[in-house]
Amino acid sequence: MNAELLWGLPVIGYLFLAGVGAGALTVSASVLLRGGGGGFAGQHYSIARYGAFAAPLPLMIGCGLLIFELGSFEAGNWFKWINLYKTINLSPMSIGTWLLTGFIGISLLYAYTFLPKSPGLGGNKDSLRRGLAWVSVPLGIATAVYTGVLLGAMPARPFWNSPILAMLFLVSSLSTGVAIILLLKAVFPGKAKDEARTPMVAEYFKQRDNSAYILTASDLMLIGFELLVIFLFIMYAHLTVGAVKESVSVIQFGGSLSVLFWFGVVVVGLLIPAVIELYYVIPKLLNHQPFSVPLGVEIIVPIAILIGGFLLRYVIVVAGQITGPIGL
Amino acid sequence: MSDVEISTTVKRRDFLNGIATAAAVGAGAAIMPKPAQAAVTGLKPHYGMLIDLRRCIGCHACSVSCKAEFDVPLGATRSWVEYVEKGDYPDVSRSFLPRLCNQCSKPACVDVCPTGATWKRKADGVVVVDSDVCIGCKYCLLACPYDARFINPVTGSADKCDFCLHRVEKGLEPACVNACIGDARIFGDLNDPSSKISREIATNPVTVLRPEQGTEPNVYYIAADHSDEYTAAAQGRYVRIDTHRRQQERK
Repeated sequence: MNAELLWGLPVIGYLFLAGVGAGALTVSASVLLRGGGGGFAGQHYSIARYGAFAAPLPLMIGCGLLIFELGSFEAGNWFKWINLYKTINLSPMSIGTWLLTGFIGISLLYAYTFLPKSPGLGGNKDSLRRGLAWVSVPLGIATAVYTGVLLGAMPARPFWNSPILAMLFLVSSLSTGVAIILLLKAVFPGKAKDEARTPMVAEYFKQRDNSAYILTASDLMLIGFELLVIFLFIMYAHLTVGAVKESVSVIQFGGSLSVLFWFGVVVVGLLIPAVIELYYVIPKLLNHQPFSVPLGVEIIVPIAILIGGFLLRYVIVVAGQITGPIGL
Repeated sequence: MSDVEISTTVKRRDFLNGIATAAAVGAGAAIMPKPAQAAVTGLKPHYGMLIDLRRCIGCHACSVSCKAEFDVPLGATRSWVEYVEKGDYPDVSRSFLPRLCNQCSKPACVDVCPTGATWKRKADGVVVVDSDVCIGCKYCLLACPYDARFINPVTGSADKCDFCLHRVEKGLEPACVNACIGDARIFGDLNDPSSKISREIATNPVTVLRPEQGTEPNVYYIAADHSDEYTAAAQGRYVRIDTHRRQQERK
């Protein structure tokens, strides 16, 4: 099929970036809250900090990309998208607009509370940070789910019109959110001289390795869930009749997107990272050996997960548009 | 001129009343006859179209008149005619399927519009787009099961057939109905049981497109061939669908 793509790369990029940002915020706020309190703002402060900084920018870039896809922008009305803010209705896109706006505001404020490298430095923002974290968890999940609901709201697009699509986007979003945090940790480990500066900063580095283990183990679980959701998505679409069955055939063997889906999304984005993560997690999980990952692996695995996350959005957005209702 | 499905006597009376009123107040503005069926049934009009494919010869007069009426940009279509070729020689058929916005009673496009730029008019049931509000997000283009919408490159907003509201409001019939050389298109008020369209729908087997989408279309067909690639493949038949649009394939 050569149907024209109405939603092209800007929308695909947006769905991916919004997923990464929403996942990073949710994971950051969750680990912060899970890490307990006390004078050090919880044992996962350091890792939550990466997530807090990773959240706002992808969302802002993604929303910017969306504007390029608008017909009004292409016709020269560059600021007509302001009309989105003049109303609110039950369209998923309208709800999403307000949700994303709230997300960008909250996540920027949340990132601001993480400016000091250690929670004890730069004034006490602890209560503000915790308050925002409580808001951020539902907000991040809502944003990730919304990207799936946006596509799922149309009966005329049978590939997308599945209740589990939003779930798939949520799990993928959390997984890519963990990946961006691990990637940032590997790429910006902080300067070694900082360790000696204050005991608080030294604590920061010590806690971070433990947090990284928890995150990697969680990511493994998320990848497992994602595989399960993909399996359910395809299985139920395949077991039904009509347009849904026909549409899912584009990602099944022999379909036009099957190679990209099975090799790009499943093998590169899910199976390979899962096997590598398993290799490093198992020793600590079973034998309580120290968790240490070589820098190369620390960088490659998150990148593979992010590529998989992007290709998942790509395959789904394209597949939904090249398939449609059958019969007339 | 029984084309606009309005009972002519009432129409004439309303029109004369209008003239009388205009004369009485001395106003220059002509008062157009209100849709007369309101007087008959007490209901607001609910416009619909019936396309009798036994009378369609696939001449594209509807498409061309629509293009001319709205100056539709190159590559876009508000109204178009599909050809459906089916079967293997000598058992073959060729039929025509004029397409336009179905002005659904439950429009999928309206449900997804984030700015409220598209809505179904309560006064006559026509689904319209306000190009001053629409931002061109293409959500409605994807949600429409009939591929009836497009982005107008001039305005940058979604565009589609509106049953020629500017003509209908003046008592004229839509341009495609006016241009149809075979009288295959019947436009009128579905709420008025005495209108031609209501009577034709009541006395003929009619179908709508993709009823399973739950959109409750208001464009009806008599003797339409609903075949597409999937249904033809299931029957083991050759079929070729020519959309005569830039979008070569039906969506």
